[in-house]
Amino acid sequence: MIYEIRHLTSYAYARPVPFARCILRVLPREGDGQHVVASELSVTPRSVERHDGICFFGNHTTTLTIAKPHRELRIETRSRVEVNRAAAPFPALTRNWEEVTALAQGAQSLAPDSPAQYIYPSRLVPTVDEITAYAQESFQARRPVFEAARELMGRVRRDFTYDPEATEVSTPIREAFAQRHGVCQDFAHIMIAGLRGLGLPAAYVSGYLRTIPPAGQPRLEGADATHAWVMIWCGPETGWIGLDPTNDLIVGDDHIITATGRDYADVSPLDGVLVGPGSQKLDVKVDVIPVS
Amino acid sequence: MAQHGRLNSARTRGERRNALLAGYRPLPGAYDELMAPDGTVRPQWEPFLSEWSGLSADELQRRFGLADRHVRDTGVSYRVHGDVDANDPLAGERAWPLNHAPLVITGAEWQVIAAGVAQRAQLLNALLGDIYGPGRLVREGALPAAAITGSPDYLRPLQGTNGAGQLQTYAADLGRGPDGRWWILGDKTQAPSGAGYALENRLALGRAFPDLFRTMNVERLAAFFQSFRTGLVARAKRVEPRICLLTPGQLNESYFEQAYLARYLGFLLVEGGDLVMRDGLVHVRTIAGFKRADVIWRRIDGDFADPLELNAASALGVPGLVEAIRQDNVVVANGLGSGVVESRALMSFMPALARNILGEELILPNIATWWCGQPHERRIVLDRLDEMSIAPAFRANGGSLDDQPLLVADLDGAARERLRAAIEQRGLDHVGQEVVRLSTMPVLHDGRLEPRPMTLRVFAAATPEGWQVMPGGFCRISDEADARAVTMRSGVRSSDVWVTSDRPVEPVTLLPSPDKIAIRRIVGILPSRAADNLFWLGRYLERTEATLRLVRAVLGRLINADDQAPGHAETIKRLANLLVAWGAAPSGRGKAIASQATSALFGLDEYGSAAASVREARRTASVIRERLSVDAWRLFGDLQRQLTAPRKPVSEGEAFEVADSALKSLAAFSGLSQENMVRGAGWRFLDIGRRLERGVTTCRYARHFAESGTPGNCLDALLDLTDSQITYRSRYQLGAALQPVLDLVMLDPYNPRSVAFQVERLDQEIAALPTLSDDGMLEEPRRLALRLAAECRTAEASRLDRASILLFEQLLMGLSNAVADRYFLQNAHPEGSRMTQLA
Repeated sequence: MIYEIRHLTSYAYARPVPFARCILRVLPREGDGQHVVASELSVTPRSVERHDGICFFGNHTTTLTIAKPHRELRIETRSRVEVNRAAAPFPALTRNWEEVTALAQGAQSLAPDSPAQYIYPSRLVPTVDEITAYAQESFQARRPVFEAARELMGRVRRDFTYDPEATEVSTPIREAFAQRHGVCQDFAHIMIAGLRGLGLPAAYVSGYLRTIPPAGQPRLEGADATHAWVMIWCGPETGWIGLDPTNDLIVGDDHIITATGRDYADVSPLDGVLVGPGSQKLDVKVDVIPVS
Repeated sequence: MAQHGRLNSARTRGERRNALLAGYRPLPGAYDELMAPDGTVRPQWEPFLSEWSGLSADELQRRFGLADRHVRDTGVSYRVHGDVDANDPLAGERAWPLNHAPLVITGAEWQVIAAGVAQRAQLLNALLGDIYGPGRLVREGALPAAAITGSPDYLRPLQGTNGAGQLQTYAADLGRGPDGRWWILGDKTQAPSGAGYALENRLALGRAFPDLFRTMNVERLAAFFQSFRTGLVARAKRVEPRICLLTPGQLNESYFEQAYLARYLGFLLVEGGDLVMRDGLVHVRTIAGFKRADVIWRRIDGDFADPLELNAASALGVPGLVEAIRQDNVVVANGLGSGVVESRALMSFMPALARNILGEELILPNIATWWCGQPHERRIVLDRLDEMSIAPAFRANGGSLDDQPLLVADLDGAARERLRAAIEQRGLDHVGQEVVRLSTMPVLHDGRLEPRPMTLRVFAAATPEGWQVMPGGFCRISDEADARAVTMRSGVRSSDVWVTSDRPVEPVTLLPSPDKIAIRRIVGILPSRAADNLFWLGRYLERTEATLRLVRAVLGRLINADDQAPGHAETIKRLANLLVAWGAAPSGRGKAIASQATSALFGLDEYGSAAASVREARRTASVIRERLSVDAWRLFGDLQRQLTAPRKPVSEGEAFEVADSALKSLAAFSGLSQENMVRGAGWRFLDIGRRLERGVTTCRYARHFAESGTPGNCLDALLDLTDSQITYRSRYQLGAALQPVLDLVMLDPYNPRSVAFQVERLDQEIAALPTLSDDGMLEEPRRLALRLAAECRTAEASRLDRASILLFEQLLMGLSNAVADRYFLQNAHPEGSRMTQLA
């Protein structure tokens, strides 16, 4: 499947911002079953310094310095991405989860996709005993890892309520877990915390999900959204598989990856420092259009 | 001298020696530094014991006093974690406890320690090079990747960059086991603290026992710092590099050590906000524009060094620093990411890594450690759990509160089972370690020596000649006789460490030989933040003075109740109103004026009170403490004490006395800064702050008290507030009249209290500051200062009214903003700070 993606983020400031320095992670990455045919990023106002690079995890980064007073910052990407993922393995045929844990702990690689990079608490995903215990219910002794992980994903989908009002980017996962409410980012973090609590390697993925409008209705422009899900490492033969706990879906060709990391902090689309007081208003428009 | 008990009554050297050693016995099962198991004193301690027993109890106490005073005066103190009070950042500052007995180590023994520490520094440095570079050790199976990835100090963005994690300094915490062998308890590779304290301990004991250093041939420390400095300079790409010490700021527990070392080594003390990355280079923001920073000796954790690529929540770092490192344009020491090898998880691999990397055995072993991320080791730990100490394998993510080892033997059954379950669930987060039994050294208590457990921190520095180890160290002593782990946070003293030599030791100082010193009158450049703080220090001090004068004027008039001159009550009311308008006192409804004046003096709830202004002045001063003299610093303490609210209500007369004596202390500070501060840019900013504040305050007084029809009594108050009463009396025989008074306090350039005088001084100070470009154009602050000066010169008292005085006041405020924009806030106005003056 080939997609055309347009993603516009704009910040409107109450007062002019004279100076900003930021890092963007907004262009889709290569790999994990997808190929970026073309992509471009435009930012207004123009930056005085711009540096494009690839971070440790393989994501595109763009560092910008804007030295011109501005009341609006617009970040727009246009990308064409071909997605062609291998089918997921038969769950019952994957290794048992204790083996996967041991293999990850003994991994002999510091590469970005080495399972050893994803088995510890990270900035936004601490070890939470209650969440580990919640995950443990699906991981009976010697159960195949993918079977158990899929069941956990289904439980998160059933037990949690999607509620954009309930949490913010800064809400700790302990709180979201206790409330059983949240958005895709919370569900992904909670599932990662549960898997890592058991010693399993789990990664965070940001990206887009193709939406299919109800039959007979046109696609609404700009109505798509950014999304987040999880990848779990199932052993050296199977490697990494995507699981989407918000929708109880195994990740196939409907998901387009922007960036991967240990949690949201590694893939946050914009981090930075800007000078000047005042509030800001954020507006996001996303279009994900399948072209073939 | 009650605390010296039996020592007091001892008369002879022998008696005093016996009194000191009375009851001193090594603790069972522990090595004692002073005394062999048979009760004899180890020979290296004899000269020390002999010196102490040669002094009377009074003389000994006097010597201790000398050392303690040195510690107090230099203000090198230690901040206790958790004591930080946002309103008063200095509240948690404690005098740093010095044990008056040193730890004595023989030269022969020291050679082993020094060789072992140098070897370990070399080993850890090579390990870091491999982790952030080729990754051979992990690939070949010598080290599991998971023993690295669990550390929050494993900084992935540094992977493959030049100098990632490379060590310039290293410290090892050592302990001595019951068999007399030294063990490595922990590695400090991030930004080891303590070397400055060690130096301070040395200087303090040097005051108390100057002769002992010679008779015992104690190795000097200065040469080590010289090597360290040489090592840093050698890393830079320019011949005369600008070296910055990057501090987390005054709330950090070892801030005062950092300020002290910066001063001692001649480095620029900077915070993250002082540095800026542009075009791949790192610069210091100074009043003369951006100046290149060549080497950054960081005392902040690596993760906090760059909010763009590392911890986005950090306010301590420099945005873009990692990119500057990637472009190889700045040297950061220790290299970012160096903290990863501090993990306890790595300790179990050290013997094998030494063989693998260096082809050597470890000279100093580390304490036996089993990382539970491996099945075999986990089994061992679980089998022998009760006899072990269990600790986090890695520094806790985002805080070190849970970082202390647990002695399993001390836990109850339920806690043991929880620990066992946690290790079974996620073994990789835990290590098991042999329980350490530390050696003991003497501390003086109730006039006799007692053995207390201690650890020793030893410092090493990378230099062009290899790793150099400081002959001495930072010794920490527990206050509990059976403590098995020592931290600075719980009742701990520190001690100087004396390494004795068989031969006399040549003194070395950091001062270069006299014929090599190039004469300089102005040193370096003033960072914008320092200028900012000096400016505000000046303003707060002047504000304090203004409030004190108001309070004194109110109280003086209240006390003088006989005064029935016309306008007496009116004057008091106006003065009190001014206190309220100023934010110094709560609004007057239903409040007695005397109580308003008292709260303007002591109250901390009102931001404009004298006590609150002094608190702000001291907070501001503490950030630039390396630029203030000890005497100046002490005056802040005096002022704060004077303005501390008394327990019981004070009379008007007593409050008057307080205001009066606080004004005297302030005058002392003015005297000090006038007489003792070098007339560099720093002094100018202090002066600019004072002059601006005084100008504005005087305008406000004048608006309040001088308009046509004002009773003479009010004009008198104005003369009091501006300290111009005597001048006026000497010029005019009559009572206060409006125009002469206005001329004297506003326009008279010969009156050091007048607005005109402040304006002329402001213009002179600003003219002497550096400019950004050499195009001959006036910069905004100078333009405004000149305009103000012209307005003052050409104004006439007969035409002054509220509106024209307000205009002066507004011009002064405008000048203040222009000074801030130009010299302090270059961040917010990058267009204003052109890059034409890159150095």
